Amino acid sequence: MRIQLIALLCIFSFSLHASDDKSMKELFAKYDQIMDEHKVELVDEVFTQKFLEHNGGKEEFIAKVKELPKVKKRKGMRSLLQKWKKSKVGRIFFTKVKDSNVKPGKPSHESEFVVIEVDGKLKIDGTLSDSN
Amino acid sequence: MKGLFLFFAVTSSLALAAPSLGQIMEYPFDTNPEWPVELIDILKIDYERNTKASFCIRPIDMVDTVVIHHSETSSTASAKYINELHLARGSADDPWYMIAYSYVINSPYPKGSIPLPLVTEGRPLEIVGAHAGSNVFMPMDDEQRKMWEDKKILCGKENEMPAYDESLVKDGKIKANVTTVGIVVNGNYAPFSKSNPGGYSKRNPRYPTDNTQDMIARLSCQLQKKYPRIKYIKWHSYYHSTSCPGSIKSYIGRIKTLAKGYGCEFN
Repeated sequence: MRIQLIALLCIFSFSLHASDDKSMKELFAKYDQIMDEHKVELVDEVFTQKFLEHNGGKEEFIAKVKELPKVKKRKGMRSLLQKWKKSKVGRIFFTKVKDSNVKPGKPSHESEFVVIEVDGKLKIDGTLSDSN
Repeated sequence: MKGLFLFFAVTSSLALAAPSLGQIMEYPFDTNPEWPVELIDILKIDYERNTKASFCIRPIDMVDTVVIHHSETSSTASAKYINELHLARGSADDPWYMIAYSYVINSPYPKGSIPLPLVTEGRPLEIVGAHAGSNVFMPMDDEQRKMWEDKKILCGKENEMPAYDESLVKDGKIKANVTTVGIVVNGNYAPFSKSNPGGYSKRNPRYPTDNTQDMIARLSCQLQKKYPRIKYIKWHSYYHSTSCPGSIKSYIGRIKTLAKGYGCEFN
């Protein structure tokens, strides 16, 4: 009985992780679309309102996106998403990202994205500078 | 009478000093130092801590450098929020004790959000920070080497016996976090990019205001007046490849000049 219960718990936690993993990949696929292809209509789906407000508002954010060069999606191109982990406190996720577009010789920028759950959906709430 | 006062002053400061081998690790240490010169108000707040995480303690005389960071959060993020994120960022394998920096400077952007100009104390100075890079090692001077050899830097968990952690030193160099104090300026001072969506636009670069520069200078100088072995101001990317602290790096020279105006000398 105990073994069955443990097995059930394992399956439950595995399916939860798999579901989070799927949501995270979807979130960052949309993020890539915004940043690489300028699909700015996805901004509200990807970012929290708080994040947009703290960054000068949605219009200002979109203007910044449009300053970035458009990147055509090539076969085998790696997503920004490197790895993620769920915080033990609440539904906060830390997603490690590395900008592959940084020119050689420039400081590489590896920061952590703070992802939270808003109305059952994962959204980017900001970033956190690297420190350890 | 004067002798009696001196006796009490010495014994009370000893009681508040960081523990030595054989004494358990207790928080909060001496978090209320008497500043010989007060150039800036420092707000003290209570932080939640992860008591399952290890941390290291040091004599503050080990510290010779102030390291400037930006948080990359919004400029209105509180020190408490950064603490929450740093606690949450830890994992079961690598738990974080508390906020990585010793001081948090809130200061307005030139345009946009206007948080209160404020300095908040983070991790007490006696606790080794977690900001310069855990794999960065720096040379020690004779005094630092002696403190290290005298086993004054100890690591462990709250309410447990500390231990001497030999991994803090490699090839005669010590981890940069042991000899530095981390000051973080709230906000994101790096340019907007795919990996930094909170950054500034090329059309509207973001620089630390005069007030922010002055606050860094005042705080650094206040620290030097209390702990004269602090003689350098550096920035995060001095230690390893990172975009932190963004445009603030270009103002370090000016910050040193401002500190000179308050009677301090930094290299």
